[in-house]
Amino acid sequence: MIRIQNLTFAYEADQTPTLKDINLLINEGEYIAIIGPNGCGKTTIIRHLNALLVPTAGEVLFNDLNTRDPKSLREIRSRVGMVFQNPDNQIVGMSVEEDVAFGPCNFGLPAVEVRRRVNHALETVGLTGLEKRRPHTLSGGQKQLLAIAGLLAMDPEIIVLDEPTSSLDPAGKKNVLTLLQKLKGQGIGIIHVTHNMDEAAISDRVLVMDGGELIADGSPDDILSRVEWLKALGLAPPKVTELMWHLQQAGEDVGSNIFTIQDAVSEITILLAELRTARNDNMPRKVGRYV
Amino acid sequence: MYNLGQYVPRESPVDKWDPRVKIVGVIVLSIIILQVNTIGLMIAAGAVITVSQLARIPLGLLLRTLRPVLPLFLCLFLLYIFFTPGRSLPWFPIGPVQITYQGLYLGIYQVGKFLLLVLGASMLTMTTPQSEITIGLERLLRPIRVIGISSHDVAMMVSLALRFVPMLLDEMNSISDAQLARGANFNPRRLSGKIRAIGYLAAPLSVNIFRRCDELVDAMEARGYQQGHRTYLRELVLTRADYCLIGLFIVMVIAVLV
Repeated sequence: MIRIQNLTFAYEADQTPTLKDINLLINEGEYIAIIGPNGCGKTTIIRHLNALLVPTAGEVLFNDLNTRDPKSLREIRSRVGMVFQNPDNQIVGMSVEEDVAFGPCNFGLPAVEVRRRVNHALETVGLTGLEKRRPHTLSGGQKQLLAIAGLLAMDPEIIVLDEPTSSLDPAGKKNVLTLLQKLKGQGIGIIHVTHNMDEAAISDRVLVMDGGELIADGSPDDILSRVEWLKALGLAPPKVTELMWHLQQAGEDVGSNIFTIQDAVSEITILLAELRTARNDNMPRKVGRYV
Repeated sequence: MYNLGQYVPRESPVDKWDPRVKIVGVIVLSIIILQVNTIGLMIAAGAVITVSQLARIPLGLLLRTLRPVLPLFLCLFLLYIFFTPGRSLPWFPIGPVQITYQGLYLGIYQVGKFLLLVLGASMLTMTTPQSEITIGLERLLRPIRVIGISSHDVAMMVSLALRFVPMLLDEMNSISDAQLARGANFNPRRLSGKIRAIGYLAAPLSVNIFRRCDELVDAMEARGYQQGHRTYLRELVLTRADYCLIGLFIVMVIAVLV
């Protein structure tokens, strides 16, 4: 559980703060998406979660450990894992298995335990068999899976990801997202910063940030269906949602809280079925006689 | 592409030796090579070939690691044979060119020494993965703690440097491609043009390196890297055979030096 109280943060003392008086409670095992235009403070806020940044004012508490306290640093960083945007710059090891071992080794675990964790983490992300590969020969998607494996080996309670899919191809994206949902199923909390609303749609809770403030906090149903509001913020709602919203604006009887192609298909099918029955009702009774 | 002098798993007994033994071995070999006479040199060469056979490295492959340094040593050889005074070979001097017996001997002897040094080092890198070399180095450097430097940090620096080399090469290629695409000319005839081309590459490359460093530092901190003690995926344990080998090395050094 992470509790953020009155968090204000400025990179330079005389500048306007990047984060303004943020209050937030992140529960265990929650899958949270953070969205917002560029420069809204998304990256800054998540860097507070594992004490890479310390608040200018206010507190960030992880299970009652304060991020200001240097003594709790190791504990916080082992329990709150972080994946960065560029997979290349976060891989430290010279081979896949060594990179996964980097975290546990930093915490001084014995080699046998490290080996057990490495194998388990690689199995979870599906990179078993690539232990000896050199990281720079992996694909972008595999590198990001490797980065997540490196965190899993530290046995985290929560994983924070900063636009992890932005440089990946569609297959790589899908692998990462599937893994995130699997981890959520195992009780690991996920905080996923993204520009992609389709990715936000699979979360439990969406936080919207703008100008260093938390301006909305709700379910994806609630947030992503506000098509006009999102557009005004400079964000793009999921394409399907926007399509349904336009249909709704044109007077069709459809809901706008639809975020997946499947939902859209079933909604449109119902609409078409209604149209068909309505047209049949208006047809003359004995059609066959005139043909 | 097959990289010269890089580790390839060969499942040989030498692969399984403790990296520390191999590092110490190469250092000892180097000291010996620089100290002994011609006969000693031949024995050392015999030892190198024997170990390379134990390590299942084909001789041709091992010798190919000499190729990059060959031009340098050829120059050295020519300098020795042309400029050593002494008794000249039959038919010489031809005009101003003079080759002496002493020069020929000295050239073969000195260049042989250097080639053996390179071969020894190549054998280390061909039988030991980079990661094991760094771990071995870390363990060997533990005593420097007394002067306030952590051997873990040194090992980390070495391993990061090794890891980032291929990435920086990629990056340099992409920068030069981007500049070529905009009409830059990296193959100018004039020296001044060449120097300017280096500048065009170096500036963006160093900016990128610093940016990468920043991100890397964050990633390492986020994963709990701190100064001080850490463990490794592979624990090194010296067996009795390893101790015997190290003992043998020490005896050899003493024998050669005294």
